[in-house]
Amino acid sequence: MLRRFRLEEPESVAQASELLGRFGDSAKIYAGGTELLLAMKEGLVQYERLINVKKLGLNQISAENGTIKIGALCTHHELELSPVIQQRLPSLLKLEQNVANVRVRQAGTIGGNLCFAEPHADPGTLLMALGAKMVAAQGSAKREIAAEDFFVDAYETSLAADEVLAEIVVPAPGANARSAYLKFGYLERPSVGVAVAFNLNGANVSDVRIAVGCAGPAPKRVAEAEALLSGKTKDEATRNLAQAGAIAGRAAQAISDLHGAQDYKEHIVGVLLKRTFQAAVS
Amino acid sequence: MQFQKEVEILASREKVWQFIWDVDRFIACVPGCKDAKTVEDGKRYSAMMTEKVGPFKVEFPTTIEVLEREELTRIKARASGADNKIGSRMKIDLDVHLRELDNKTILSFTAGVDVLGKLAALGHGIIKRKADQVLDEFAQAVKKKLEGDA
Repeated sequence: MLRRFRLEEPESVAQASELLGRFGDSAKIYAGGTELLLAMKEGLVQYERLINVKKLGLNQISAENGTIKIGALCTHHELELSPVIQQRLPSLLKLEQNVANVRVRQAGTIGGNLCFAEPHADPGTLLMALGAKMVAAQGSAKREIAAEDFFVDAYETSLAADEVLAEIVVPAPGANARSAYLKFGYLERPSVGVAVAFNLNGANVSDVRIAVGCAGPAPKRVAEAEALLSGKTKDEATRNLAQAGAIAGRAAQAISDLHGAQDYKEHIVGVLLKRTFQAAVS
Repeated sequence: MQFQKEVEILASREKVWQFIWDVDRFIACVPGCKDAKTVEDGKRYSAMMTEKVGPFKVEFPTTIEVLEREELTRIKARASGADNKIGSRMKIDLDVHLRELDNKTILSFTAGVDVLGKLAALGHGIIKRKADQVLDEFAQAVKKKLEGDA
């Protein structure tokens, strides 16, 4: 059962941040509530105050100055319907169309998903491969956090106690940019998720970014695997995929749990890397 | 969940043994453990164990019972506690061994950790990882404390 709590209604992001600073651990930002309210109902977490940020207008999506800006309060469904996402970030569109189930996509927000940092979540992994930055607001000040620095551990991000995630900024992909995200699992949440992004100039593969998620405590970028594909021709890169997949599997810090054993997850990372690369190329 | 740890300490076995029975100093090496009290000297102790994974916090009022004791060689103990607020229980079966190697002491221990109740919803993998981290930190803290005294 949900215990009693006080609902704070700040009128700005700065005010929300100030409330977080004032009430510390006894308060939490309330966005879609799909993870938070579940944990509260289960009694796993208790907060005296929830800070409702739904009315702060953080659900805009725009393309400007070579970037795509996504308000942290966009629901997964709003992202699915956004013409900007549909035209400019097809890999994110596909990911969002397959997040959890229709009820979660209607209420859950991308910002809430990232901030809760549940290990078996999809968006962080692809955003890392796409080179996204998280814009965090602290009072009226703002700072950008690269996706690879945002996730610290299971359920932990690098946001300060009084910081509010306001926006996600993704570099607009160029004409030669390719990206894809694939996941695999047999429970409600994925066991493994792999994302790749790169440029394909004719047959040349460059600027490869690989991220692995769900298998371990937090999404992880795998520079060592990227180096095996970057600066290679498409055929050379394809030949190196097995080796890159093995490296990415080990780097995933896979945990044995109900979603699969460690070695099984490591193997799946390799399989998904091959398929993700092929999906991005085609 | 079973864990095995070993740490090499630059101190005599007598010194390590004494340290283990110096409750306040020893408990200070257990991450998240506070308010240690001796209930019955050499047999029963109590402490508050706190741990945190992201927003999930637990507070276990814990009883530590010494089950077996072989002077300078071995201690077998059981720690158990319950967090009624969250509805979770934990039990740790600890087997500690000391042996001498030249001028050093090898402190090795096996720990069987069980976490039951709602906290288990976090997932076996996350809890196992956390328990492993805590035991590593504990072993390193004991080493640092004893070698610092040398």
